[in-house]
Amino acid sequence: MPKTVISRREFLKMGGAAASVFAVGQFIPPPVARAARQAGSLDDNGNGYICTLCEMCVWRCGVRAKVDEGRVVKLEGNPEHPHSHGKLCARGQSGLMNTYDPDRVLTPLIRVGKRGEGKFRQASWDEALDMVAENMLKIKSTYGPEAMVFSSTHNLSQPLFENLLYGFGSPNYGTQRSLCFNAMVTAFLLTYGIEEPARNYDNVQYILLVGRNLTEAISTSETTEMIDAMARGAKLTYLDPRFTKTASKATEWMPVRPGTDLAFLLAMINVIAIEELGNCEFVKEFTIGCDLLPTHYAEYTPEWAEGKCGIPADTIRRIAREFAAAKPNALAHPGWRTSNFINSFQTERAIAILNAMVGNVFEVDGCLIAESPEAGGIALGAPPQPPYPRVSASRLDGVPWKYPLVPLKLGVFQELRDAVLTGQPYQAHGWFIARQNPVLALPDLQRTLEAFNKMDFIVTVDIIMNDTGWFSDVVLPEASYLERYDPLVPMKDYIFIRQPVIEPQGEAKSALMIYKELGTRLGLAEFFQYKDEEDYLNQQLAPLGYSLEELRLHGHIKVPMEAKSEEITFNTPSGKVEVYSETLANAGFPPLPTWEEPPQPKAGEFYLLTGKVGQHTQMGTQNNQLLHKYQDEPRLWMAPEAAQTLGLEDWDTVEVTSPVGSVKVELQVTPAIRSDCVYLTPGFGHLSMALRTAYGVGASDSQLHVTYTDPISGGQALSQTFVSVKKAG
Amino acid sequence: MPQKNHYAFVIDVARCIDCRACLVACSVENNVPMDHTRIWVHDQGIQGNWPYLSHAFVPYNCMHCEHPPCTEVCVSGATYKDKVNGLVLVDQEACIGCGYCVAACPYGVRYIDQKRGVVDKCNACLQRLEVDLEPACVATCVGKSRLFGDLNDPTSEVSIALRNAKSVTNLDYENGETDTDPNIYYLNLPETESILSSDPFGQVAQTSLPRDPHYTIAEQGWKNVAIPLMAAAMGATFLVQAIFFTKQLLEGEKEFDE
Repeated sequence: MPKTVISRREFLKMGGAAASVFAVGQFIPPPVARAARQAGSLDDNGNGYICTLCEMCVWRCGVRAKVDEGRVVKLEGNPEHPHSHGKLCARGQSGLMNTYDPDRVLTPLIRVGKRGEGKFRQASWDEALDMVAENMLKIKSTYGPEAMVFSSTHNLSQPLFENLLYGFGSPNYGTQRSLCFNAMVTAFLLTYGIEEPARNYDNVQYILLVGRNLTEAISTSETTEMIDAMARGAKLTYLDPRFTKTASKATEWMPVRPGTDLAFLLAMINVIAIEELGNCEFVKEFTIGCDLLPTHYAEYTPEWAEGKCGIPADTIRRIAREFAAAKPNALAHPGWRTSNFINSFQTERAIAILNAMVGNVFEVDGCLIAESPEAGGIALGAPPQPPYPRVSASRLDGVPWKYPLVPLKLGVFQELRDAVLTGQPYQAHGWFIARQNPVLALPDLQRTLEAFNKMDFIVTVDIIMNDTGWFSDVVLPEASYLERYDPLVPMKDYIFIRQPVIEPQGEAKSALMIYKELGTRLGLAEFFQYKDEEDYLNQQLAPLGYSLEELRLHGHIKVPMEAKSEEITFNTPSGKVEVYSETLANAGFPPLPTWEEPPQPKAGEFYLLTGKVGQHTQMGTQNNQLLHKYQDEPRLWMAPEAAQTLGLEDWDTVEVTSPVGSVKVELQVTPAIRSDCVYLTPGFGHLSMALRTAYGVGASDSQLHVTYTDPISGGQALSQTFVSVKKAG
Repeated sequence: MPQKNHYAFVIDVARCIDCRACLVACSVENNVPMDHTRIWVHDQGIQGNWPYLSHAFVPYNCMHCEHPPCTEVCVSGATYKDKVNGLVLVDQEACIGCGYCVAACPYGVRYIDQKRGVVDKCNACLQRLEVDLEPACVATCVGKSRLFGDLNDPTSEVSIALRNAKSVTNLDYENGETDTDPNIYYLNLPETESILSSDPFGQVAQTSLPRDPHYTIAEQGWKNVAIPLMAAAMGATFLVQAIFFTKQLLEGEKEFDE
C-alpha cells in the first residue's frame, strides 16, 4: 500500500466528506483533532464536544463546541462555567459564523492600491512579517521606538501584545477603555481601590441601574441572574433617556435628561444622608467622609434635582427611601460603558458612594463584591523574559502628564489619535493594531482617517477585513477563537482554557504565534520564550503541577485554594471606602462628587445617544450572517412629537448633522425615546467593502461624535454630541 | 392507547428579553436556510402613555397542537401528530412540498424550503430530545423564559411551572370545526393585546407574523409566488399527482445514476 503523504493544508482543502474517510482509516488526524481525541473530547470519527471560551464579547462564557468531522456545527453554553451557566446569547450562538464567514481573511495581505482603495495582494507569512518588521525597525531607527503606536482591545493574548510594544520600547498603547469604562474604573479605583467590583444577585431586593442596559448589553450570567432576581420579587429602577428592553422589564423607568443622572443620584445621597437612612455600622467602620455628606449635600435636594433631571422630587425621595430600606440588599450597579458625559466620572463616584451608604460591600455575600469578576488568587507561571527597556519618551495620550489620575493600562485613546494628528508632543509614524477597529470606534472618524494619513506604515491583525484593515498597509490573518489557543485565564479558583476546536482555516495563525514570529524578527525573541502555543500554556501551568491534558477535557481545572479571610480591606490610601478622596483633592479635583452641569443642545438640536443591541458587539460582528439575519434595521430613533415638528415620518431617509460630520440613515419614529434625543444603533456604517454582509447597512455614529475628554478619568463623552436632523434631499 | 409523552412548551413572557439567542440557536441547530426561520419573537409594540410605557415580547414557534389543522390537509401523510410524544412532525422524505399545510396553519409557523422542495418547521429538536438534550432554543434561553418538557410527568419543569402559575394563556384557535388546543402555554402574557386569538383563518397568520427579518441572502422571490393559491386554482388533485409523479420520476432517475 502506498504511503499517503498529505499536508494538513491539503487535508483541510479536501473538506468534510474526504476527512471522514481518512479519519476512520490509518490517517493521522491533524493536531487539533489529535489532541481532542487524546483528551477524550472527540471519538475516533472526530465527533464530540470540546470545551473552550467564547470571544463574541469580553464576558468570556464557557462554551461546549459540537464538532462533527472537523467542522464545528453547534455551540452550547458550558454549564460548568460561571459566566454561561449552560447558556449563550445570540452572539455566542452565532460564533461559528464568525469562523465560517465567507469574508474571512485567510492569508496575509499586502496593500497594492492607494490606502482605503481596498486593493491587496496575497502574501506569504514570511514576506508579510519581514515587511512589517522592516518598516517597524526603520521607524525605530529614524524616529525612535516611541514613533510606533500600538493598540489593541481587551483580550487574552494581551500580555504578549504588551511584550511586543514594551519590548519594542514604545510607551504608546491605545486600548478601547477610554471609549468604554474609564469613568467607572477610575471612580471605583479611587473609592474602593478596585477596578470593577463584581455584582451578586443572590440576595438582592432592590436594583438601581443607571443606564446599565443589561438585557441588551448582555453579560450572559449577569443578565440571567438579574431576571431571576426580578422573578423572585426584587425591584428594579432604571435610569435611561431611552425606553430600552431593560426599561420594559423594570419596575420603574426614569427617563432622565441625558447627563443629569448625576443630579438624581446626588439627591438620593442627600435624602439618605439627611434622613439618616444608611447602614450606620458599615459607614462608621469602613468609610471615610460620610459624615461630610449632610452638610455638603444640603443643596442637592430632590427639588433641586427635579429641575435638572426632570424626575419629580417626590419620586426621587421615595426611591432613595426604598433603596435605603432594602439595605444591605440594595445594589446600585457600577455600570459598563460609562463614557457618556464629561461628568460621568462624578456620576460613577456617586454610584460608588450609594453602595457604601447601604453597606452592601462585603466580600462573601454582599450585592457588591470588592473583587473584580475576573480576579483569581491563582498564580500562573510564565515563560522567562528580561525587563522591558527603559522608555524616556512621554506618552502621546497625555497619561500621566496631562491626565494624572488615569491608570496607565487604561489610557486615553482619543487623545492618542489627536496627538498623532497634531504631531504634538512628537510625531508618530507607525501604527500596529491588533483585533481592534479604531476607524469606527474612535469619535470623529474623519480625524482618525486624517491621523492614518500621517502614518508611514499601518498593520492590522484581525480575522476579517475590518474598516481599519481596509486602510492598512498589511493585514495579518488571525485564527478565530474557535481555531486557536490563547493564554490561560484564572477565574476565582478555576483555570479556564481557550483551546482550538477545529484546525485554523487558510493560513490563519494564533496571536501567540504572530507576536512571537514578529517579535523574533524585531530582535525581541527573549520576550517570546516558547516553542508554540502548547509550550506557552504548559509553562503557565508548570508551577501548579497540572498538565495541559488535564485541562482539555472539561476546559477547566478547579485549584484548591486557602479559604479567604473574612476581613474586609480596601486598597485605598486610607484602607477604607473613600467617600472623601484626598487623592482627588491633591490633584485639584472635587474630593466629593459634585454637580457638574452638562451642556445642552440648542433649540432644534438633539442629544445623540448611543447604546447597545443584544445581537452585536461593538463594530466587530455586523458581518456575521446569523446575527445579520436576526438584527433589527439600524435606524435613527426619534420621538413622534419631534418627528411631527420636523415633518418627518417613519422610514424617511434623514440627514443627521453634527459639528464634525453628517450621515444619512432611515428614521424610526418611536415613543421609546425622549423628544430631545435621537439614538443611532452603534456599530454599523462600515467603510470596508470587503465586509459584504455589513457594508451599506446603517450609519456610523463615529462620523458624528465630537471628541470630548473628561480631565479626571480620560473617558470620551459619547453622548455630549448634539445633532440636527432633516429630511435627506 | 394514550400518548406516552405530552410534550409542551411553557413560555414566561415576563422573562423574555428579546435577545434572540433562541432564534440563532435554532437556525444553527436545524440548519435553517438564511432566508427562513423556524421560531419567532413577536414584538407586541410599545403600549401605554409616556412615561408609563410597556413592551412585551412573545416567543413562539410551532404550537404542536392537540388538533392540528395542518395534518388534516396533508395529502401525502408527511405531516402527522406523533402518537408517542404528541409532537407535530413532518416526514420530509414523504413531503411533496405542496404547501397546503403552510396555508392551513393558523400560526404561520411553516415554510417551504425551496432548495429541498419540502416543508419545514419546529420539530422541538427531536434529534436533541433523543439524546436527552433540551431543544436548542430552550437550552440557551438567557432569561429562562422558554421551558420544554413532558406534561404527563408531574415532576417535569413544565408541569411544575403550570401548577405554580397564577394564570396561563394559550393561543387557542377556534373556528367552526377547528379547535387547535396548542401546546405552548404562556405565563404573564399581557392582556392588552391578544396576538392570535379569534382571528379569522388566514388573518391570524398575518397578524402573528414575525418582524420581517432582513435577510442576507436574497432568495425571497418565491414569497411572491403564492403556492397554495395556485394549487387551489389549478385543481388540487391534479397538481398533487403531477408533483408526486415528477418527484418519483426524479428520484428514480437519481437511483439509476447511482
